[in-house]
Amino acid sequence: MHPLLATRRHFFRRSATGIGLAALGSLLDAEQAPVHPRLPGLPHHAPKAKNVILLFQHGAPSQLDLFDWKPALAARRGENLPDSIRMGQRLTGMTAFQESFPTAPTIFRFAQHGQSRAWLSELVPHMAAQADDLCFVKSLHTEAINHDPAVTFIQTGFQLAGRPSFGAWVAYGLGSENQNLPAYVVMVSQGSGNTQALADRAFGSGFLPTKFAGVKFRGGADPVLYLSDPEGYSREARRRYLDDLARLNQIQLDDYQDPEIATRISQYEMAFRMQASVPELSDLSQEPESTFALYGPDSRKPGSYAANCILARRLVERGVRFVQLFHRGWDQHSNLPKEIRTQCRETDQPSAALVADLKQRGLLKDTIVIWMGEFGRTVYSQGTLTETNYGRDHHPRCFTAWMAGGGFKGGLTHGQTDDFSYNITADPVDLHDLHATILHALGVDHTRLTFKFQGRHYRLTDVKGQVVQPLFS
Amino acid sequence: MRRFALALALARAAGWGAAEVEFNRDVRPVLSDKCFSCHGVDAKAKNIALRLDVEAMAKADLGGGRRAIVPGAPEASEMIRRINSESKAKKMPPVFTGHGLTDAERATLTEWIRQGAKWQKHWSLIPAVRPAVPAAKGGNAIDAFVRARLDKENLKPAAEASRDRLIRRVTLDLTGLPPTPGELREFLEDRSPHAYDKLVDRLLDRPQYGERMAMRWLDHARYADSNGYQYDGERVMWRWRDYVIDSFNRNKRFDQFVMEQVAGDLMPGATLEQKVATGFQRNHRANTELGIVAEEYQVEYVIDRVETNSAVFLGLTFGCARCHNHKYDPLTQKEMYQFYAYFNNVPEQGRAMKYGNSPPMIADPPQHQREAMKQIEREIEQTRQGLRADPRRVSVWRQSLAGDGLRYWHPGFDLKRKLSFEDPEQTRANAGIVQFVPGRIGRAVQLDGTAYLDAGFATANFDIEDRFTVAFWARSEKTPDGALFSRANDKPRGRGFGLEARQGHLHVHFTSDYDDDAIRMTSDDAVLAAGRWHHVALRYTGSRMAEGVRVYVDGMPVAMKVELDNLYRPLNNGGKEFPEPLRIGAGGGPNRRFAGQIDEMLIWARTLAEEDLALLARGELLRDQDLDSRPVREAWLESAAPAAQQALWKKYVELEQKREALERSYPTVMIMAENPRRRETHILIRGEYNRPGEKVEPGLPSFLPPLPAGASNDRLGLAQWMVARDNPLTARVNINRFWQMLFGTGLVKTTEDFGSQGEYPSHPELLDWLAVEFMESGWDLKHMVRLMVTSATYRQDSRTTPELTQRDPENRLLAHGPRLRLPAEAIRDQALAVAGLMEKRVGGPSVKPYQPAGLWEEQSMQNMDYQQDHGEGLYRRSLYTYWKRTIAPPMMVNFDASTRESCVVRESRTNTPLQALNLMNDVTFLEAGRQMGRRMLQEGGATDEARIQYGMQLLLARQARPRELAVLKESLSYHRDYFASNPARARQYLNKGESPLDLRGKPVEQAAYMALASLMMNLDEALTKD
Repeated sequence: MHPLLATRRHFFRRSATGIGLAALGSLLDAEQAPVHPRLPGLPHHAPKAKNVILLFQHGAPSQLDLFDWKPALAARRGENLPDSIRMGQRLTGMTAFQESFPTAPTIFRFAQHGQSRAWLSELVPHMAAQADDLCFVKSLHTEAINHDPAVTFIQTGFQLAGRPSFGAWVAYGLGSENQNLPAYVVMVSQGSGNTQALADRAFGSGFLPTKFAGVKFRGGADPVLYLSDPEGYSREARRRYLDDLARLNQIQLDDYQDPEIATRISQYEMAFRMQASVPELSDLSQEPESTFALYGPDSRKPGSYAANCILARRLVERGVRFVQLFHRGWDQHSNLPKEIRTQCRETDQPSAALVADLKQRGLLKDTIVIWMGEFGRTVYSQGTLTETNYGRDHHPRCFTAWMAGGGFKGGLTHGQTDDFSYNITADPVDLHDLHATILHALGVDHTRLTFKFQGRHYRLTDVKGQVVQPLFS
Repeated sequence: MRRFALALALARAAGWGAAEVEFNRDVRPVLSDKCFSCHGVDAKAKNIALRLDVEAMAKADLGGGRRAIVPGAPEASEMIRRINSESKAKKMPPVFTGHGLTDAERATLTEWIRQGAKWQKHWSLIPAVRPAVPAAKGGNAIDAFVRARLDKENLKPAAEASRDRLIRRVTLDLTGLPPTPGELREFLEDRSPHAYDKLVDRLLDRPQYGERMAMRWLDHARYADSNGYQYDGERVMWRWRDYVIDSFNRNKRFDQFVMEQVAGDLMPGATLEQKVATGFQRNHRANTELGIVAEEYQVEYVIDRVETNSAVFLGLTFGCARCHNHKYDPLTQKEMYQFYAYFNNVPEQGRAMKYGNSPPMIADPPQHQREAMKQIEREIEQTRQGLRADPRRVSVWRQSLAGDGLRYWHPGFDLKRKLSFEDPEQTRANAGIVQFVPGRIGRAVQLDGTAYLDAGFATANFDIEDRFTVAFWARSEKTPDGALFSRANDKPRGRGFGLEARQGHLHVHFTSDYDDDAIRMTSDDAVLAAGRWHHVALRYTGSRMAEGVRVYVDGMPVAMKVELDNLYRPLNNGGKEFPEPLRIGAGGGPNRRFAGQIDEMLIWARTLAEEDLALLARGELLRDQDLDSRPVREAWLESAAPAAQQALWKKYVELEQKREALERSYPTVMIMAENPRRRETHILIRGEYNRPGEKVEPGLPSFLPPLPAGASNDRLGLAQWMVARDNPLTARVNINRFWQMLFGTGLVKTTEDFGSQGEYPSHPELLDWLAVEFMESGWDLKHMVRLMVTSATYRQDSRTTPELTQRDPENRLLAHGPRLRLPAEAIRDQALAVAGLMEKRVGGPSVKPYQPAGLWEEQSMQNMDYQQDHGEGLYRRSLYTYWKRTIAPPMMVNFDASTRESCVVRESRTNTPLQALNLMNDVTFLEAGRQMGRRMLQEGGATDEARIQYGMQLLLARQARPRELAVLKESLSYHRDYFASNPARARQYLNKGESPLDLRGKPVEQAAYMALASLMMNLDEALTKD
């Protein structure tokens, strides 16, 4: 018998003497109902996918060295970026006063892969092997040129703090399918490159109730803050403690009849269940060898991006609605060739493995995997350009993301940039469009998922957003 | 008729008993929410002719006799036709908006037109008039209004809560702490009819009252201890928090409190306190990220002020008109920028200081520092008395110097190094040719443009907060060019500091990171000429700012152009040594060596006075100096005065240093100030910082009253306007928030929005009565709070029934007393209080209590780490907990605290499993449980029952009911057995927190009581005021 059920029996037995029927009812409801239900009227249309895994490459990876192949640049090596390309566009304060803007072609080799013949760099061989499952958008663009506003923009649809994150919106709209785990889970891993700060607001609930905020799962003993019982206190003792607590709360409920008390009782029960379900989830020891082989050597290291990718799959298996990974360290203003190699070593194999793994388990059709950073990087070198070294500054005008699963068309490349990967020449997609498109895949009309705050009906896509239909198969 | 019946039925279902449709209550909310975004103030911009927010326009002929609203004739009204249209093209609101009307809303609009389409000005813009208090038996005015409404609803108020519930409720509400057993006893034993009133007075007099009131004010003011955005470095604003606590405790007139925070700096004869108050306007986030466009963020700061001031004081959402006219309220974009202009004249930078405060700011020593300063100043004064130089003795001394041809004058104290170049052994030349040649004073060093002198690692180890002065003579055959001296890495843009000649100009830098973290400045003019000796000095005050750096040539300060003024981090490799020694003639790499002569380099660990530098630059022998000059007198005191006076001089110097050190340790507060020349404000097209449109002057929106007569059109005038008697909003909005604090929901539920999208008040007359009472009492907040908490409405029992819950789930009708989960701060503070751990000192810097390891490191830059406090810092009230915006204290976040990223005025409460985990397993609450358990054991009496009852009193201010007692006893005995069966577990379990633990007693017993106390702290009732 499942230990939780045993616990329930225990509880019912006790309740026959100590606990009123009202609380029992609420507990039963709590156990059968998900953590939070979906909003009435949702989904708005038949969904293509149920879950999202957002693999956020924090710090902004270079599209030029990974995806956006510009062979013509080799001949222009070291030439100043033509004004006709830059068109007086604003630069960050880091290179705005740079005397020249030497064109820096990638030093990495590109080749075509899969039936789709997608161009990918040698830095991402595992993604390359998976190319026919990936749907590339090379024409993403954003408004922000600095990390904090850019991450905030992608994560909340607005550059300034205060709005709910993407995952919080999805949790609010679609609820959770699992009564033992939160609807929105976040994991952060540390890269080896130049690191930027990551604010809680990136996965916060903004003006939505805090229960929709991303719950951070961490490597180590307490995967969720305060999850573990104190040393010296057993599970049996905790069970007994919660039973006594519930009996006392029930006495108060009988007297005051405040439904909040019933909710409190059920939240403590959920906490107890999380204490079992989260360690079970985080325990990779039962995974077969083949899993670790698939995700690569790092995947045995708790807290690594690779281990988090395995966890992402396990979370989705358990019905968690929105899983978000952040991998830090992509901010390569200098020493890009060296740093991007290690960043890719940490992320390429696990990212591709996650797609393959979901696919082989039949989960990919219900799950959207997104790989992206907060903006792109400049074609010109920040700092000195040498044969083997260069850096790249922030570039909001174009960058590349890929999606897999959830109805997205594998092998597709959408959007084009100019020969410098500087400006978009076809099919621009802004972040509101991306949000609208992913919501659409989840069965949500982005204009109708709203929350009234300060008199306004807010939505993730603010006042914009077009679903990019061609991305769907 | 059928429609009318439907309207009536729906109106009743909506909770409005009367059949009369009232525009403000019933109609405007529908029009606003569903129609104004197109047919409102922004209609013209969208080429839409019809406006429904202005009566005349809504009822006007639209052409061809069509009118949207024909009073009394719904069937003739185009609006009614359109909202009922079956045609997709004609249907209003259009389908694509997603804002369809409900049947009830259509019925309301129809019925309203049938009844004559009576219009009303928006209720919150009509100045409040004191309404007649309904006749009622007993209670105060509040109760009369509440009961009148209950009567209408056929509901009865609840009976008064028991006295033990009352004292717990009101003590938690007014102090954020539970009553102690002693206070409980005192109240229960006081049988006078005024016992409760006296209790309230006692609570209002406690310093904890100010702390309690400050908790929410900090949310409104988005107070934090860090800057936010990417870097999120530390700032220092706690003296502003002290100001808030103190103002509430002194019951400062609330209008004064508002005015000081809006424009304290502009008040006539502004006091330090009034200036500090304006920290309210500077509590916004500040961006320090390398590479931001400073102008962009300067705009954001002002927008933040607009949003915060309009929300906190006016209950309006002005920020919504940043990009376009307001969708709902009659506020144009231009008016938004006119309001913005009031806050757009601060001498501030868009890119803020990474660590510490950004100007403008002011030092604000707390009481103990003020006293220490007075003491030092007294001692200095006393010492000074004994330092009068005897002119006769000085004269004799001066004569004695006549034979000493090399006694050139220089200030002696704090001189750390003197390099006279008379003795080549003082220094080491690196490769290249170094000669010692006759110089300005004795011999000088001559450098060839490739070599430099190494003056060792022991010298000039100054960092960014150290004061120092370096002075020397320099000469070059050509226009001086190259590094004069440095304490920095030997490469261009290296870390460290130094002074360099650049074709006769002087360039000084303090560099931690060249792009990002440095001060750099260059003289406007070429101040060094070829072929002559110049006296050059660099002095620094340790301020980390360009204004603290000054360069002198030949005794005169040099005008410098500041290239970067953004220094935060230590220069010398994080407190280790500089990688290079003090180098004379080098800095900025091998290509920047100096060719020429340098002489008589002096290095002091203090900032020399200009007077000293001027004298020094004369380069005279001491005997030629003015006898009466201060420097000469000081030289005498230092080296030639009688021993007693020399000792006194030494003491004086030490005292001066102490005074300086104390002054420099004063906390500062970022405050408001005005640019001498007003910064121009333009409308920003689509709200974008780089798209300025029409220029605007400060001004108020036309739908609000004008500035009071005689008020200046600046922030001070604005402040006076906010609290003027005819301002319809400030009193209502603020009293509504205090109501929310006590009753859980405002009389206007949308505390943040009193505009047309805001909710109509549940008790409009009561709100007006309270607003008028507030103003007419002299904005006496304690009086208002007293009125609210002594009302029978507040004192009602909080028990409810399923029927009542269903009918009025949020208790808006107030048919029972408030029962609400405590705010995050109160939950932790209560635990510390019942544990006997709380450190109750009021005010002071923020502290860092327990926090799970690694939270900051995982997400912040440069491994910013949380350095947890020990001792007192673990047990201070939660409003003193260090607030890092991007990674807020997790317990506070779990319990719905606002994140302090922007202004929040609405309170929210959720109920989540993370809260349960937090209370069961966080060391804070485990330690509190251990100490509460100890108190039960030690103070509770001899029996388990007595001890349990004592715990109930400590935590819940009541006795356990028999059924509860039975459960608690069972739980205790379970835990006793549990720990007895394995005493090692008891020791492990008890080992929580840093407060003393005495294991010599009975660990099993202690652990059992600890578990029981933890369980009690997790009771719903413990987290709730009821």
